[in-house]
Amino acid sequence: MLFLTTNTNGERVRSSYDELPELVAAVEALGERDGWSGELTFRVSLVIDELAQNVVDYSHEGRPGDVEVEVTSLQEDVVIEIIDDGIPFDPLTEAPEPDLTSSIEDRPIGGLGVHFTKTLMDDVEYCRESGKNRLKIVARK
Amino acid sequence: MEISADRDGGAVIARANGRIDSSNSREFHSSLEAVIDEDDSAVVLDFEDVSYISSAGMRVILLTAKGLQSSGMKFALCSMNDSIREVFKISGFDKIIQIHGSQSDALAAVSA
Repeated sequence: MLFLTTNTNGERVRSSYDELPELVAAVEALGERDGWSGELTFRVSLVIDELAQNVVDYSHEGRPGDVEVEVTSLQEDVVIEIIDDGIPFDPLTEAPEPDLTSSIEDRPIGGLGVHFTKTLMDDVEYCRESGKNRLKIVARK
Repeated sequence: MEISADRDGGAVIARANGRIDSSNSREFHSSLEAVIDEDDSAVVLDFEDVSYISSAGMRVILLTAKGLQSSGMKFALCSMNDSIREVFKISGFDKIIQIHGSQSDALAAVSA
């Protein structure tokens, strides 16, 4: 199950979603309500899409598990936290570096999600805490 | 996902629309393959009506580029919004796949 907790002006709302596109649509609606630029909404929803999908695909090794996404809209930043109780995995150091230079024939498929996060966001931190993977990502508005 | 197709000279112009992400990337792939004929000399994929793409969609673009290259067909993309253009840049895809500002520029490039 995917959970989205949004925190705007001290108001916390927690919702659950069966599918990733529903969760991303909810994030886009939040951005619209909170007056984010189109470019910021794109970056935030892309990073949540990529990282939550990675957790869904790999973290629970085929077992159903929960992914919590918490988005806090502050005056100058948007803070995203992605939390799961799957196997310990730090995508910032353990995900393979993507190949960005090979020719079309040799270019491997995949490995871009974490690269997008590192490139498009202003700060990303990982920690393992209380048996959970926690990624904290900051995007400046 | 429905992809509309027009033809100009030997090129097929495919127009995708909406969001391309993990939920519809397979459908995007099969729809794109369906509009390309063996007889086409080039494929222009128009992003005018595409609002969003994730790595799942980028995967389809790369697979398509590989397939077309091995068949000797030209491939160009056009009319991306700024955010999608940025995603292609940071993926390094803009170094291996032609990206043009307009459909007419893309057509001119693949017809040359």
